[in-house]
Amino acid sequence: MTVTSPLDAVRHALPSDTEREPHDYAIDGLLPRVAFSPDDRREVAELLRTAARHDLVVVPQGGRTALALGRPVDRYDVALDTRGLRRLVEYVPDDLTITAEAGISLRHLQDALGEHGQYLPVDPPPDDRVTLGGLLATARPGAWRGFTPGVRDLILGMTVALPDGLLARSGGRVVKNVSGYDLHRLHTGALGAFGVIVEASLKLAPLPVATRSLALRCGDLARAVRVGLALRDAPLSLRGLAVIAPRASAHASLPHEPHALVDLAGVEEAVVRSAREVDEVARRHGATPAEVGERPWQRLRALAGDESATVVRLGVPATATLEVVEEVRAVGCLAWAYPASGIVMGHADAGLQAGAVSALRDRARALGGYLQVEAASPELRRRVDPFDVDEREAVERLKAQFDPGHVINRGRWMEGL
Amino acid sequence: MPTNRPPALVAEVSDAVGAPHVLHAPEDLLAYEYDATIDRAAPDVVVFPNTAEEVSAVVAIAARHGLPVVPRGSGTGLAGGALAVRGGVLVVLTRMNRILEIDARNRTAVVEPGVINLQLQEAAGRHGLIYAPDPSSQRVCTLGGNVANNSGGPHTLAHGSTVSHVLGVEVVLPDGRITWLGGRLLDTPGPDLRGLFVGSEGTLGIATKICVRLIPKPEAVRTMLAIFESVEAASEAVSAIIRRGVIPVALEMLDREIIRIVEPRIQAGYPLDAGAVLLIEVEGVAEGVAVEGEAVVDACRRHGAREVRVATEQAERERLWEARKAGIGAIGAASPAFYLLDGVVPRTKLPAVMRDVLALSERYGFRCANIFHAGDGNLHPNIMFDPDVPGATDRVLELGGEIMRVCVKAGGSITGEHGVGYEKRSYMEWIFGPADLAAMDRVRVAFGGADRFNPCKVLPTGHGCATGHASDIQRALATPGVYV
Repeated sequence: MTVTSPLDAVRHALPSDTEREPHDYAIDGLLPRVAFSPDDRREVAELLRTAARHDLVVVPQGGRTALALGRPVDRYDVALDTRGLRRLVEYVPDDLTITAEAGISLRHLQDALGEHGQYLPVDPPPDDRVTLGGLLATARPGAWRGFTPGVRDLILGMTVALPDGLLARSGGRVVKNVSGYDLHRLHTGALGAFGVIVEASLKLAPLPVATRSLALRCGDLARAVRVGLALRDAPLSLRGLAVIAPRASAHASLPHEPHALVDLAGVEEAVVRSAREVDEVARRHGATPAEVGERPWQRLRALAGDESATVVRLGVPATATLEVVEEVRAVGCLAWAYPASGIVMGHADAGLQAGAVSALRDRARALGGYLQVEAASPELRRRVDPFDVDEREAVERLKAQFDPGHVINRGRWMEGL
Repeated sequence: MPTNRPPALVAEVSDAVGAPHVLHAPEDLLAYEYDATIDRAAPDVVVFPNTAEEVSAVVAIAARHGLPVVPRGSGTGLAGGALAVRGGVLVVLTRMNRILEIDARNRTAVVEPGVINLQLQEAAGRHGLIYAPDPSSQRVCTLGGNVANNSGGPHTLAHGSTVSHVLGVEVVLPDGRITWLGGRLLDTPGPDLRGLFVGSEGTLGIATKICVRLIPKPEAVRTMLAIFESVEAASEAVSAIIRRGVIPVALEMLDREIIRIVEPRIQAGYPLDAGAVLLIEVEGVAEGVAVEGEAVVDACRRHGAREVRVATEQAERERLWEARKAGIGAIGAASPAFYLLDGVVPRTKLPAVMRDVLALSERYGFRCANIFHAGDGNLHPNIMFDPDVPGATDRVLELGGEIMRVCVKAGGSITGEHGVGYEKRSYMEWIFGPADLAAMDRVRVAFGGADRFNPCKVLPTGHGCATGHASDIQRALATPGVYV
């Protein structure tokens, strides 16, 4: 009988040309013992199965843009680079649907879709370097959310590799479908807790014919919030809406003053009319509008996905925007909000105290909302639960069914899980 | 009538919800043997709880006795989802019909599961807001049922099905515990358990409160009726509209058969000699609606529309919609029985698939009326037949199966909005493999529902469930007067 070491077992399970240098895969200062970049989904399933049998912890990663999201993993044995899975499986422009493998980058996807005047209407942090799998596994909204569907609402179907080596599919490729459990929803936002996404089918949108961004300088924050809510309620062809506190404005390439920022998108006539309405709202509230282009949006997106800082996302009712933005500022954050989805973002270069994060979370919870830590130092992510969901027990029971050996991202989702 | 009902059951559930809210006499149970489908199965007891706590108590009693639990709303389901296939406790949620809160500024509402879809629409409308999912049965179906089935409707083309509008649900789990999935906001952290629960057809728990998002009423709406010589030409126009980069909020098709049934009753002005019509709606900022409306008209004309009528006034629009909404009911009056199918295909496959559907119906010798969500590729062929004609039922079932196979072969699905329920669970194997179904089964196990919570639904297997549904349907279709 030959005794194989766990690492050799994994090596034997995959073609040798899929092995990579561990030092390219550091996370929180830790290096994996081995790293692989399979280009076939069956290899991903086989890797998980082998790891499960030998009690190795696998950390899937694609664009590596959300490594500071979640608790630090308990152990880091195997890096699973998903970027080898990059086939565009099926794209039927006239159906407005696409099926692609998980390791394809959003940029690559958007380029392919753009050739047909289409796109995936998402603007996740920090930019289009995120892979499709990462986009779905993190499910982080951006400024468009509320005007465009969430990531979870764009998924038509998904194939996931499970730790017992199964490849399980749910949904399909059609835009309306209620056959069976929507397992793809379980995997959305789960950071791989229940399996590794290897393929997804998505609903697309036509690229807007015209887009225009306007920033409204507002003098004080209360006015910026009033303007933001007035814009939300006006008949506009909106795709994005943000209210930005002064320091965050400066970081978003705008004057150091509170702003309301709008992204108009649609047919030319609708955008032109909307711009007139925006001017009218500005005039009524004593705000000064200016044409700004894409840059402020890109900056906000980058700030939201900045892994070198502490970043928090709060969800609160839109009517609480002003007070919550003030509280986020008060702990030393750059602060901005997306009133259409009730999101308030905080970004602190110097980090935040655990107590401050907990206090903000208590505040959000008292308002019926939540706080998610989007990025922070490993120490802070150990001290403060990054997600703090109420559904802990249901998650544990699902984990026991899908990944009983805690093979994928052990400890990342919550302590002991 | 059931003989295996535990003697203490009626007394226990009566304690939990009050004796007036429990039915157990054989003649009372009869009315709860079926939903809007064809199969029949009697529960052991029917309870009408009034609160989440009462639901929890009833579920716990059923768990103690090891009895199945089957949730039910108005009983309008089209896949047998509310049938007590293995008896047990039928939990009817129609007493829980309160709209608990409408927060117009934050655009949310909290409702109980027994609230009728249209009642929420009307309540939201008073605040200038809309609850988008609008199933054709919206005058009677409950929001709890909509959540269970992830119901659609004409306007889900642009706005998405029920799941895109539910923010959170309070759920009584199969062991009786009460928990929240999701919350009051979009994109709450963590795995999307709320989204997993929506559409789980009552197999994972019972929703006792539902928090939904409301959206603002559009500034302008334009409804168009495009008249074509054939279903095929209308189908081509559907693709052409989407290709233009226009996603209407609704894009519905009615074929000649259904027009001839519904027009004499409704007088909406649909031409009786048309091969098919498309009912198309665009909405948004007025200037955008004008441009998109013109693009739609142009696409239709280029694909053979002989006429496109445009309605901008509310009354005109409502008249056009009236024919669409009254369609299914009209078939019921026009035929002794009909079998309503629900399948989905990629939109680009519509012309070929519709050609096959019509050819198949003709070959089988049945009238087939089509009234459906063309923009989503969501077909609803209605096969009309007389169950008293010997052999007719068999042939209808065969035809239904063949049409479903056409959908699957075209890359589609066995259900777009009615659910799998009891009827279509054996079709699941046509589109999913063993690994897929095994993974789905794990969800049911994790939630604790296993084989006891709405048993014999969604998944093709289950202890004590008949295998294959054709024989079940056949038995029920043999009952005169029953239609699907």
